[in-house]
Parts: sequence; structure tokens; C-alpha cells
Amino acid sequence: MNKWFEQRESGQPNVVSSRIRLARNWDKYRFPKSLTAQESEELVKRLEYGLKNLKELDGKEYEYAYLEELDELSRRALRERRILSSGIIEKKETVGLIVSRDESVSIILNGDDHIRIQVISPGLHLGELWKTADQMDDYINARFSYAFDAKYGYLTSFPTNVGTGMRASVVLHLPTLSMGKKFQSLVGDMSRFGITLRGVYGEGSENYGALYEVTNQKTLGSSEQEIINLVTQTANQLNHQEQQVRERALKNHRLEREDEAYKSYGVLKYARRLSAKDAMIFLSQMMTGVDDGIFTFRESCSIYRLMLGIQTANLQKLSHEPLSKEELDMARAAYIRNELPELC
Amino acid sequence: MLCEKCKIREANIKYTEVINGVKNEHNLCAQCAKEMDLGHYSAIFDGEFPLGKLLSALLGLEESSQKEDKLQQIMCPSCKTTYQEFVENSRFGCPDCYGVFDLLIGDKIKKLQGNGTHIGKKPKYQKIEALTREGEAGQPFAEPELSRDEQLEILKAKLQEAVLKEEYQLAARYRDEIRSLSQETQPENSTEGRSGE
Repeated sequence: MNKWFEQRESGQPNVVSSRIRLARNWDKYRFPKSLTAQESEELVKRLEYGLKNLKELDGKEYEYAYLEELDELSRRALRERRILSSGIIEKKETVGLIVSRDESVSIILNGDDHIRIQVISPGLHLGELWKTADQMDDYINARFSYAFDAKYGYLTSFPTNVGTGMRASVVLHLPTLSMGKKFQSLVGDMSRFGITLRGVYGEGSENYGALYEVTNQKTLGSSEQEIINLVTQTANQLNHQEQQVRERALKNHRLEREDEAYKSYGVLKYARRLSAKDAMIFLSQMMTGVDDGIFTFRESCSIYRLMLGIQTANLQKLSHEPLSKEELDMARAAYIRNELPELC
Repeated sequence: MLCEKCKIREANIKYTEVINGVKNEHNLCAQCAKEMDLGHYSAIFDGEFPLGKLLSALLGLEESSQKEDKLQQIMCPSCKTTYQEFVENSRFGCPDCYGVFDLLIGDKIKKLQGNGTHIGKKPKYQKIEALTREGEAGQPFAEPELSRDEQLEILKAKLQEAVLKEEYQLAARYRDEIRSLSQETQPENSTEGRSGE
């Protein structure tokens, strides 16, 4: 079965994926941080039992697992694919995972909160994702009453999630806009509108791959629809600006743009060793070329899937044995060579 | 470069030790560096989440004074989280914490979130026991014969008394009642500005 990120979205260049996340707590238990190991286990088992027939809701096949059953690589691979967050990966107490086969819907039990619903899809579809999450939320709520307060809304472990308990986010590819001098100040200005804009890969101010995530900062005092509108509008606005600079660049520097795209393809198609950083940079440049219509692949290819595929834990997992840094770079290059289709 | 210990994560910490004139360099990732005993430097890697600390400043530590010392001892009866613990970790222990610490955190949450009151989705399926918080049985509403203004006056007096006695859970309940009462007359009011007195 194809994962959600293996489908190639058409018609929305620069938009990689959208995601809605809801944090909920069952009112019968204290928040995860105050639970004993025994209570954690009991909570997860009860939740999992209550949700064992999730399939009846949406017809999707779900897999159920406990975090402790997974080896470290599998956990890290799940983090790379954004099912788990880095805080939860380290957790000693029982954590439950319910993940649809295509990984578009996942529920984490006893992470930061008792229940975290996540729905994710390629392209910009926050409205539809909210519908799915909303239904899932009602389904769970019919079985477990939530900790809710008339003033504070859905009660969560962190005061930063209280209210709707919702984060709506969109991952955008902004290779040209992010090179501009004004970009850093734009990132800062975003917070004035209640939006966080952050790089997806790389640490600190460095961001390779030019993927940026737009997320709502606040969860209290706005309705779900308002949050979705805010994030969607911001994403559209950023995408629009990216398009404008790209068109200008293409008009004035066509040769350079073509050269960069073809060179990236050439390196990716024939390199024998690639570091994660280099691979991300070339994939990003190639993605730009494809979105700008400089070239097309003979078969459809999701470049974002390649970006996920070349992450360290995934490559380690594919190889079945521990890889050194050198071997990892070789495996990364081989992975891309193998997956990258010929050009038309 | 990969971390020399786990060989999985990218090394982003360079640790140089000089023992008896012999220099050794290690390239580690944050996680392995944390696990290794690097003397007092280990403390640097302890908190992967500086966010918690950042929030702490916003949520209360900044105005820690003698007055607050007393408040720090307030403890949620359900999960034993103290106000101090909450301020340090920016994390509640259980749903009841919101009620217990309400008067102390109301303004701060408002500051953090830009708004103090939820207006989104409400749970579709919820028990109707919402108004009687555990531990204290009894009248969720004031006597219906009195006019609304009279009820409000009485409740406000009770609230003030509860705050003075430092019975914050009780006070929070009065506060909620005042709010629900006054919301029927006017959409917004200012009955919550008494935190920490």
C-alpha cells in the first residue's frame, strides 16, 4: 500500500504537505507526566481497546503497536516521517501507536497528552484534513469523555496547546524566497500574526532543502476554522511570493536556472556518495526545476518521498546492518540513483 | 560527520580533552554527549527543550518575589503538582490543575495565547457533571430567587473571601459561576483581575 507521501500532487507547486494535529485528554486520568508506569500501561490499554475497531469509521486499515516494542531505528524512522515527535521517542512509560497503513492518520496514546490525533496529506488541504480529524475526534469522544473546561476549552498538559488543542501546519518549498535578504525578517514578522515559520531540516538558522513549515502559534481564543483560514492564507501568500520571485528569476536568468536544475539531476542520478545535506540541497534544486517546468520525469516521482527516504534512520533500516558515515553516504546515493526516473 | 559513539546521528558537538598534555578530540551528537560524563559540561545537554525554560519566564518566574513564595507552595490536590513545579516545567499535572491554579495563571495564559477564553469546538459527548468539581459537593449555582446583580455581588464577596483564605479551588469555582452568570448579561467583563492577592 502506498504511503501518503508517495502520491504525487499535481497542480500545487511548492506545497509539500498539510497536517492537522489535535491534543485531547481523557478526564478519568491525570496527565501523562503524573501517571505511574502502571497507570500509563492501563491507560494505553484501555484507550487501545476502545479504539480497536477504528476501521469502522473510515475503512482504513490500522496497525496497533507499543513504542517499547519498536527498536530504536524504527522509532527514529517514524520520527523522520513525522509520526512521532522527538520528545516522545525517549519516553520510558508505555506509549501506544495507532497508524493507518498509508500513515495519513495516526494516533499517539500517552505521549505529551493522552490522545494525539494527526492527519496528514500531500498538498494544501487543511479544510479536508480538519473534517477527517473532527470525525475521528467525535468517534474517540463517544468512547472517552474529554477533559474540557468552558473557559479553557480542551485541557492539555502544556498551556501552549490548551483551547482547541489544534495545530494546523503546511510544509512549503521556498527555495528562492528563502534566499532573499528580507526572508529572516519575514520569519520574525510572522509571529505578529500568530504564525510560526520554521525550517524543517537542519539546525539553528541553517536550513537545507528549503522546506519550511507554517504553523499556528496560538490555540486559545480562535476557532478551528479561523486557525485553518489563517494558516491556509499565510501558506498561500508565501507560495504566491515564492512564485513571483521564481518567475522573475526564470525570466531574467533562464540559463542559470536550467543549468542548476539539470546539474542537480545529474549529480543525483550519478553520484556515488552523497551527504544528507548535499542530497537535500540537490533534491531541492531539482524540485524547483520540476515545479518550474524545466524538465519532467518519464514516470511520476514524488521528490518529497525521496527527501524522506534519504534520512539517516530510514537508510539504516533499509540496509539491515549498521552503516558507517561513508557507507551511509554510499547508500544514500544508491537509493536516489535507484529511485530517480529518467527524464523525458 | 557522524557521531563517533552511536554512528547514527550527525555529530554537532566537538569535545576536546587534554589529559597530561595529551590532546583527544571527540565528535559527538547531543544525545551521546549527554549520556557521557563530561563533568559539569553535561548540564548543557540536559535540557533538549529550552522551550520549557523560555515559557517558564513568561509564565511566572520573572515576577518571583516574596509574595509569590507563598503561592509557589499551592498544590493541586489531585496530582500533587505545585505551582512552582508548574512554573518551572510549564506543564500541568492533571485537568484539575487548571481549576486550582486558575487565578494565578489566567492572566499569564492570556498573555501567552493572546486570549483567555476558548471559542472553538466543544466535545459532542460529555457528561453533565461538569459543574460539580470533585472534593466539594454542593450548590453549583446561587439561589435562583435573587436578582442576577445580587447573586453577582454575593459571589464576588465569596470569591474575595476565598482568595484571602487562599482557598483557590473554591475561589476558582466562584469565579466560574460569576463568569457564567455575567456572560448571560454581557459578553465580556473583568472579574478575573485579582490573581495573587
